[in-house]
Amino acid sequence: MNKSSIVAFVVIPFFLASCVMSEKENTECDIEEVSLHLDSPSDYFYHDYDTLKSVISTETNIVFIIRSYADVQSIPTTLRITNGATVYTVYDNGTETPFLNGSSIDFSDEKVNKFHVVSQDKMWSRNYSISVVHDKPSDGNLFIDFESYYLDPTGKYYVWDGPDFFNDGTWKNGNPGFKICKSSALPMDYPTAPAIGAGPDGSDCVKLETCDTGPFGRMANMRLASGSMFNGIFDVSNALTNPLKATQLGSPFIHKPMQMRIWLRYERGLVFQDRNGAVVNNVLDEPDIYLVFYRNEDALGNKIVLDGSDVLTNPNIVGMGRLPHHFNPDGSDQLSNNPIHGVTDQWQEFIIPIVYTAEVDPTILENKGYSINFGSASSWQGAFFIGAVGSKLYMDNMQLFCE
Amino acid sequence: MKYIHFIITFILLPCVLSASAEQVLPNEGNEGTDSWQKWGPTTGLNGGGFIVRAGYVLGGTTPLPLPAEIRKINEFSPRGGISLGIDAYRMFNKRWGVSLGAHFFWEGFHTSADVKNYYVWLEQEGEVTKGYFTGTNVTNTEMWGVTIPLLATFRISPRWNVSFGPHMSCYFKQTFTGEVYDNNYGIGYLREDTPVGTKILMSREKPTSYPDDFADNMLPLSAGIEMCFDWKALRHMNVFGKFDLGLTNIWSPNFEAISFKMYPIYATIGVAYRY
Repeated sequence: MNKSSIVAFVVIPFFLASCVMSEKENTECDIEEVSLHLDSPSDYFYHDYDTLKSVISTETNIVFIIRSYADVQSIPTTLRITNGATVYTVYDNGTETPFLNGSSIDFSDEKVNKFHVVSQDKMWSRNYSISVVHDKPSDGNLFIDFESYYLDPTGKYYVWDGPDFFNDGTWKNGNPGFKICKSSALPMDYPTAPAIGAGPDGSDCVKLETCDTGPFGRMANMRLASGSMFNGIFDVSNALTNPLKATQLGSPFIHKPMQMRIWLRYERGLVFQDRNGAVVNNVLDEPDIYLVFYRNEDALGNKIVLDGSDVLTNPNIVGMGRLPHHFNPDGSDQLSNNPIHGVTDQWQEFIIPIVYTAEVDPTILENKGYSINFGSASSWQGAFFIGAVGSKLYMDNMQLFCE
Repeated sequence: MKYIHFIITFILLPCVLSASAEQVLPNEGNEGTDSWQKWGPTTGLNGGGFIVRAGYVLGGTTPLPLPAEIRKINEFSPRGGISLGIDAYRMFNKRWGVSLGAHFFWEGFHTSADVKNYYVWLEQEGEVTKGYFTGTNVTNTEMWGVTIPLLATFRISPRWNVSFGPHMSCYFKQTFTGEVYDNNYGIGYLREDTPVGTKILMSREKPTSYPDDFADNMLPLSAGIEMCFDWKALRHMNVFGKFDLGLTNIWSPNFEAISFKMYPIYATIGVAYRY
């Protein structure tokens, strides 16, 4: 290489680097984490870890749940917000004053405290509310008919109300992830959608359908989305990087579930495909329904939350019920051409007993030390983006019976 | 003021290229008409001829000036290009002439840049994903084409020519690939639609690639300016350095995925044979 080209090699990158402009101010304005500071948290909370809440980017109503008999007044609170942003306390009369971290917030009488976070560049802002509410006594025996549903605030997909003990009282599914891939989809085109008047009793039911995720799904090598319904949190932030971790499954439950009954109907998609979209012959798609009961705290008091990677295998699971499937000798799921789940294209009620592999401690149970997770999918391998597009699982009139 | 860096570079690059020859010039200037003729065109001082050029191209395509969304250039490496071409020239007198050429080129580059709040808008088969990306953006480009320069030539000295003028480039093939993921601090995410939209994390374990057909949005033609310095090393052989700057955006006007204009900018160093 001659001298001139060396000079040019040096000059061009230098030229580009010298052009980097001064940094613009931040535009984001999130509350990322909220922590409450109490001398003896266990007097108020079921778990010590409940005093800290990570706030996902789509959440703006932050609710802490305390024991039904606990009486809270003002609690020193710390908010972690986006760098450079400013957080204001919003009063009932609309005035705002900057919130100082560590100052006390009045949480008495389940008061909803409002906050306004303004970005560093002052161009963007978000409104949040933080409250501390008492745990409501829950009935162990449940009947869920999936009749209460409505469009989410973006108007893109449906959301179903669930029992109060579910996180924010709603069922979760992969619809928020599907929205990222398929901006053009209508609410009824989503993997989880209502089926009006299609239930066994002529009322509405839920339809889970394995859908093609389109060009963006192919770019991310997530070519299909199984319809799903579960309880817990779906953190869409992780949908691309770590989809199995995007599902934080389960909600604390103070009853010991013994049996689940549910009405099901299945229409199988015809072409089974692997993760890369290649057709797999001689394998039939299968639906999945399961109920998992697990210990939600380890010996050191750390929080345990199951996710898509270990929901059926985590050692903290104490009891489980599931539709029948074939399994390999090592316990892993076995794809086959002769499924034994028994769900047909005619409505039938299925009775799924919960089988326990460990004792349930009544004191721990009373103190919300166990979580219940209900899961369902139109393609049982959908979490791995494997299945048959067009598989449809209809479900309705779910009942849970507890000890 | 934004263009000051560009102007400085524009002046600097040819100066650097010519630096080694500067010491020779005063002596040559005293050699008289014989020397002008000896190093001149094929016949006398006002003849014409052809120059066949072969060179090594380095450079790439860049927004000018760099937008504030680009925080740091991590890597900028040319993917070794070559240029082969021919110029027809005509000198009108001892000092001035004109040349018209056709230079076939293949050039490429690889860049990695840290960006903050970089607006992206991707459309694929009617599906749209858009928002503000913060993290690392890597792009690779290759272009095959031909540049047609029409240059005025000035003889600074018997052995030293400078040419300057407009050029047009026509691309036969362009590729533009890339991916986005987290930066070295582990920060990589898209805020969907607006800076307060849903946050979607990106990671280098699972980078998100640009769509395959991204290059379809590149225009097949560009226009710009070229400056070329020739030093006549031997009776028939030149050493040259030239600098090309595109003045037209490489992206189609209705392409919204990249929110700023980008221009080709590259230098060629090579040898030439004079007929």
